[in-house]
This record gives sequence, structure tokens and C-alpha cells, in this order.
Amino acid sequence: MKRFTLPNRSAIELLLVSAFVLAPVVINGQTPQATPPPPAQPRSVKFPQPVEKRLTNGLRVIVIERAGAPLVAGQFLVRNGAESDPIELAGLSNMVADLITKGTQKRSATEIAEAVEALGGSLDSSARWDSSRVGVNVISSKIGPALEILSDVVRRPTFKEDEIERLRQQTIDDLTVELGEPSAIAQYVASRVVFGDTPYGKPLSGTTESIRLINRNHIVQFHGRYYQPDNAILVLGGDIKPENAFRLAQQYFGDWERPRNVVPPVAAAKLDTSRGPRVIVVDKPDAGQAAVLVARAGITRRDADFFTGLVANSVLSGYSGRLNQEIRIKRGLSYGAGSTLDARRDVGPFSASAQTKNLSAALVADLLMKEVTRLSTEPVPDLEMVPRKAVVSGNFARNLETAAGLVSQVGSLALHGIQFEEINRYLGNVQSITAVDLQRFAAARLGAKETNIIIVGNAKEFLPELRKLYTQVEVIPVAELDLNTALLRKKQPTN
Amino acid sequence: MKLRNLIACLMLGLVLLAPNFARQAEAQSVQVSMPKIKFTDRTLPNGMRVLSAVDNSSPTVAIQVWYHVGSKDDPAGRSGFAHLFEHIMFKATKNMKSEMMDRLTEDVGGFNNAFTNPDVTVYFEVVPSNYLETLLWAEADRLSGLTVDEPNFKSERSVVQEEFRQSYVAPPYGMLEYLIEQQSFTSHPYKRATIGSIEDLDAASLEDVRAFHKTYYRPDNATLVVAGDFDPKQLNAWIDKYLAPIPKPFAALPRVGIKEPERKAERRITHSAANVPLPAIAFTYLTPPERNADAEPLRIAATILAEGESSRLYRSLIYDQQVAQSADAVPDLREDAGLFYFQVVLAGGKKPEEGERALLAEIKKMQDAPVSAAELDKAKNQLVTNELRQRETSNGKALALGSAAVLLGDPNRVNTDLGKLQAVTAADVQRVMKKYFTDANRLVITYLPEPAKAAVGQNRVGGEDQ
Repeated sequence: MKRFTLPNRSAIELLLVSAFVLAPVVINGQTPQATPPPPAQPRSVKFPQPVEKRLTNGLRVIVIERAGAPLVAGQFLVRNGAESDPIELAGLSNMVADLITKGTQKRSATEIAEAVEALGGSLDSSARWDSSRVGVNVISSKIGPALEILSDVVRRPTFKEDEIERLRQQTIDDLTVELGEPSAIAQYVASRVVFGDTPYGKPLSGTTESIRLINRNHIVQFHGRYYQPDNAILVLGGDIKPENAFRLAQQYFGDWERPRNVVPPVAAAKLDTSRGPRVIVVDKPDAGQAAVLVARAGITRRDADFFTGLVANSVLSGYSGRLNQEIRIKRGLSYGAGSTLDARRDVGPFSASAQTKNLSAALVADLLMKEVTRLSTEPVPDLEMVPRKAVVSGNFARNLETAAGLVSQVGSLALHGIQFEEINRYLGNVQSITAVDLQRFAAARLGAKETNIIIVGNAKEFLPELRKLYTQVEVIPVAELDLNTALLRKKQPTN
Repeated sequence: MKLRNLIACLMLGLVLLAPNFARQAEAQSVQVSMPKIKFTDRTLPNGMRVLSAVDNSSPTVAIQVWYHVGSKDDPAGRSGFAHLFEHIMFKATKNMKSEMMDRLTEDVGGFNNAFTNPDVTVYFEVVPSNYLETLLWAEADRLSGLTVDEPNFKSERSVVQEEFRQSYVAPPYGMLEYLIEQQSFTSHPYKRATIGSIEDLDAASLEDVRAFHKTYYRPDNATLVVAGDFDPKQLNAWIDKYLAPIPKPFAALPRVGIKEPERKAERRITHSAANVPLPAIAFTYLTPPERNADAEPLRIAATILAEGESSRLYRSLIYDQQVAQSADAVPDLREDAGLFYFQVVLAGGKKPEEGERALLAEIKKMQDAPVSAAELDKAKNQLVTNELRQRETSNGKALALGSAAVLLGDPNRVNTDLGKLQAVTAADVQRVMKKYFTDANRLVITYLPEPAKAAVGQNRVGGEDQ
């Protein structure tokens, strides 16, 4: 239970990168020897190749076969997610994704759950910013029945009123619980601060108020417009032969008619540049720890500098990244500090964060800002570039070790219209980034001047220190926080 | 929090299942056998057990060292020490500077981590397979001794205190989980939460670190597991070179001998805390430990009750009655004594009594009538598929092998427990529900928001300051 696992430190595998740290001196005949034995010759890695077909109705079907565990992962991706929610209906796409598994022409909500869970799996449906998706992960022999159920829910949901009301209550309760967590509040405030009242500014699963506004018509309309074969991608990976996968796709999705209307393009998300960087404190007196986050606009997934961004983020983030070095390892101020560069269809956020005791919140904010700044003012030494690139490569390769990881990676490439060759070019792309590229990128795209600071915690413990560092601090009592608008405050008739 | 999930998975996954899908009702169903994990089992003269399983499909290797010491072995007045010690194992040794483990793993594209639970402390690394020898050297080095200094010790202790806040103080239901751990046992040292307390952590010293290493970090209390891409002959040679020479101490290993007494009557606790968005309740029951034959039916019962949206608690409490926001059933079966708990967060506007009644009614149904054949098959499929997913990676395979060897006492159970799971009948499930889920064996925790403070204004800070 112990060392913090940062989100981007998930699975691994490994690579051709040679380590710079290992002294090659071996002292023979002495145990224990004082220096580590050097590595042997590395083995090379080969990733499985995706193959694809388009059904006549326009559905793109992609298969990646990989022998190993007798498991198949599947993902059905619709090219529209929360970015396509109407501004006042935050949470609509997520409600639609939840509701498709709550009743079809053929099965009730309970029957759907029973059918898929009897196969040993589950249907995981949700909206992301760029897509709505339904995933399954079952033993290979069950993939046929699982796809039949998946096809039923994406094509023929009934959206019954009682299911909508039930989900509305559940969503409101879930939000109530989630907003008890300082770090969740900080994330939502950051989105509003960076993206204002544009699509990426709203909470992905909505607010209590927006969830109350959503009605059955909105839901049926969203589903009818976007859940269409020529606006979707089916990815299957793991222990499955391509010919078998294509046959199943044809069997369960082949007779799905292509709609007459073309799916409307997504309106581009925009940044909120009207207010300049802000320093915001959400005062939550009962918070036993403060969540500290700095955030600004980042990059799109198709940005020419995507790989530079990955390496820059890795210099900051990960267990031995600069943020965790400075905040946890050197000073013991947090269980873990890290950053995220969330590349989306449009420009997504870049954020760095840590949780710390209330008293040290201002210090942690200062350390986060200093490290973000240093990335653009000093070149990263080679001694640091080499291992941080190894981290990026290792994470990538390890994520491909499971059927679900493979499908998720390939699905993301397909969604963003990126060639599958990128999988095999990935390691080379990472290796080619230089310290000069990185500094240029950081100065142009991750500058601290445009970066906002958000702290959620017991303000009286850190506000005096914070005000010594920043003259303009907005303090919002948590009871007055309003996530429906970039103003972030409920309108108060008297105050 | 991530790590806590890992522990939960591990606990749930302790029974390593193999497969038999033949009895599935569906005609198209094909019997799939869970691939057996072929492993070798060797015990070195110094008492260290070494398990290894080759899989050359990807050029990586997982290395784990399981120390048979957990938070139940925390020294008196030092709750949380086994876990704090785990953090200290990443600091300096005779031949390694602090954080050198990260240089040998993360810096070459691999990773490392560790976890502590009431019974074991497990360290693991996944690296490109050409680094295997390097990591065996490093594990041997930290088993041989630590040289951590005072500033590093204190800094890491602060990290653990922040971990305490992040896992138990900041999240709305963190203290409820803490109470479940702390209040379920009255005599056995399981009554101390693994994370410990801020005060006990403050009291810990470098002297405690030295004594703890000397007492528990010894080859005859360690199991090394290596899974993935390696040459078995070469592995043996490296083990002989780096691990076999570590001497076995003469002193006997201390073991906890305290037995948890049977519960005689229902006990109720009410706890109010700040930051409780919706009231919650928990029931805990004592059960036999994980090596007991009733472990399998208990795990199946938990799956039928709470795994997925077709589970009984989801359907009844969340879907039909809409009395709960969430409902979990957790078989936290440990080495010396088992714990089985339920945790229910109420839906908005619902009272704890309503949740309690609904939960009790579902428990009673499981006692009054056998579960259906379809529910039983479904639960088995869910458990087997989860286990298959765990074993997709070398690290997951090593976890399965390590738990079978250290916690169940026999690494072969990694391949044989499936048979036991498949053999569980509806009558077995009903029998364990009746036997352990009695009124007298129940602890009820009611978790409520603190009554609103009278003067809200007192807590406000400043105002806008522009």
C-alpha cells in the first residue's frame, strides 16, 4: 500500500534504452559486491499489427490479434462525447452512455446486466471528452454472445422514463459524494478556469443543476444523432483471429442501416483567455488535507509536438519526475506529486498537482510553479533526458501487455485519425526528442505566465503565506462555489 | 488510494482459480482451461524460498520479494510501523544510495512498487529482462541491511503521514474504512489499522528500523518470485551468487499467537465526522481465515451479493429500493482470522435505518434459501475471468504465485484452487451465510455527518481580495 502510484505509472515493459546509471564494474568473487552487475544485451520488442475493414454501413472494424491469455477485449467508440454536450446540458453524453445499458427493445436493465455478467464480464459504458464508449472484456469463447449484447445496447436502447429518473438521482448522489473530495473540486474548478464557458469548461458528468435540466428528448436526440455506424469504430483485441472478428462484426452490426443525415461536425472547444491567469482558493474548512493544482491549456492529440509534450510531461511527472523529487522525495510534503498533459481533439489541459497538509499548501503551489517554469528556462540535462524518455517508452510498451491496453491504445489512434504505424514508430519518436526541442516547446506551450493556481482546503491555514506570494487571490467559500459558470460563484443577493 | 485498490484486489484474488466453463448454460460455450502456471520451487540452505515461472512472450521480467511480516507485527506503540518500514526499504543500503531502486527500474523503462497488508509486505519490480541480474543484486543488498540516516527517515515518515491524510482524511469515507479495520478486532493485533496513527508514526525512530529489519528481514522469512523472460539455469546461478550467501540468523522468528475471541453479542458504534456527504453504514462479521475451506463459499457469496449490476445488493438496494448510493461486500479473509464486511452509502434523503433494514433483509434471503444455479455459475465465471485478467501480465502471475505460497502455504494452490471453487454448491453458500452472518457476530458502524456548526461565518476566511 505504499509508494504512490501516479496515473501515468501504470503498467510497463521495456525497451531498448540502455541505462546510463549502471557502473559497469563487476567485482568478482565477492559477495555482496559493491556495485550492481550491468545489464545483458536487450531483446527487441515487436508489437502486434492491427488490421481493419469497413462494413458497408460505414462502421470501422479494427482487430489486433495477440496470443497469450484466453481473453478478448472489445471497445465500441462513438466519435462524440462530452465535447458535444449543449453548453447548458453538461452531463448529457454521459447520461446517454449510462442509459444505453438500462433497457433495449429486447432486454430490461436487469436482463442486460444478468446476460453480460453471466459471461464473466461487464459492459462499461461512459462518455469521455472526445468519444462515448462501451467496453467488454471476456474469455475468448464468450466474445460472440458479448458482442450480441453490445450491439443490442448501442443500437436499440429504449430510454424509459423511469430509468432516466433513477439515473438522474444516482448521478446527483454520485456528484455529492465526489465533491466531498478536495482534489475533485480542484479539477472541476481548473476546467472552468482554463476553458471558461466553452465545452471543456463544464464538468464531464454534469452538475446537480444541469442534470435536472436533461429530459428524454435531449437523450433520444443525442443518441440518434451520434450513435450511428458511420460515426463509430469497433476495436477487438487479444485472443481472436481477424476473420472471426470480422465475421462477428458483420453478424451483429452488418444490418445496422446507415442514417440519411451526416453527423454534424463538433464545434471546436475554445480557451478562456479573457481573464488572464487566476489564483483561486476554494475554502473548505473541513478538508483534512489541501488539494493544490496548477493548470493551463496544453495541446491537441494531433499536435506536431505531441511526442515532445510526452517527454516534457515525463520530466515533470512519474515517481522520479521533478515534481515528486522536489515535493515528496526531498521535502516529504506529499504522498505524490505529478502532472498530466491531456491531449484531446481540441486543445486539452495541462495540469500539475499534489495533496498536502493545509499548512504547506502555499509552499507546494510555489514548488509546482517553479518546476513548471524551470522547464522553459533551463535545458534538461542528458543525464535526465535519457531516463525520462525510458519511462515514456516503458509505459507505452507495458500498456500493450494486456488485451484491454492494446485495444485502448489502438482505439485512441483510430479516434484521432492517426496511422497505426505510429505504434511501431513510437519508441523512435520518443528517442528523437532533444533538450532543445523540449525547452522550445515548454517556453511556447507550457509557460508559467499563463498558468492558473487552484487550492481547495482549509484556507485559514495557508492563505497568509499564499498572499505573500500572490497579490491577487480569489477566495470562494465552498458553499458559494458554482461549477455551472466560469464566474465560479453563486449569485448572492446580499453579501 | 490506487495502492489500496491493489490490496483489495489481492485479497479478493487470493484464491487462484482455474477454469471450467463447461457447465455454462449457453450452447455456444466452449470449455476454456485457464492455462496452468508452470513453476519451479526451490528452497535455499538459508531458508529463502524461490519460485519462478518462465514466459518469454515479452522481453520483461517481474521480480517480487514477499516478506512474511505485516502490520499485525507492528511493535507495541508503533502502529503503522511495518508500512513505514516498507517505505524505508527504498532508502540507503550499504551499496545503494537512497532511491537507487528507481535508478535501476524506472530509469530503464521499468517500475517498482510495494505494498503492506496485515500479513505480508511485498516489494516488486518489472524491468526489461536484461536487467534481471541487476535487480537480484539489489534485492539481496537491501535484505542484507539498511543504512538510512535520520533526515531521510524523518522525511519519509512525513510522506507516510501525508499518505494517511490522502487515503483516510481527505476522502469522504476514508475514516469509515479506518474504523472497519480498527474496530472489527478486539484482541488480535489486527485491531491496529495498517496505516497506523499520526502519533505512533511520530514516535517511531531509526532504532526501531534497525530492530525491525533484524527481526523480520531475513532469508528464512522471504519468498522470491521471478516471472517472465529469463533462462532458468542462469537464474539459478544468479540466485546462488547473490541470495544464497546471505546468512540465516539463529534467533527464532516471532509470530503473533493471540487468538481473536468469538463475538458474543451485536456491537454498535456511531461515528460523526466532518465531510460526510451522505450517511453510511457498515456491518462487519468475523469468519475463518483464508486457508479455511469456507473461504471459497464466502468469496462466492460476496460475488453474488455485490459484484456487478446483476448482484443482489445492487438490484435491491440501489436499483429497486433506491435506498443506497453504493453497496459493497468485501471478503477480507486474512491469515489468522477472517473479516467479511459490508459498506453501504445511503442515497440522498435516506436514513441509516432504512439501509440497515434493506441490507439485513438481503443477508437473510441468502440464509433462508439456496442461491439459484444461474447465480452460482455467474459468480464462478466472474471470479475466474477476474483471475485470468490478473494473470495477463508477469507481475500478476507472480502475485498469484506469491500469495499461494506465502498466504495459503502451498504454491500449488495457484493451479488447484480452481477445482475447489468449481465444486462449491448452493448449499455450501447457504451454510456459510447461516453460520457466520449471525446477529451475535455483527458489528454495526453508523457513519454520520457532524451536526452543522452553529456559526458558519466563523469558518469563513477573508472574503474576496482583489
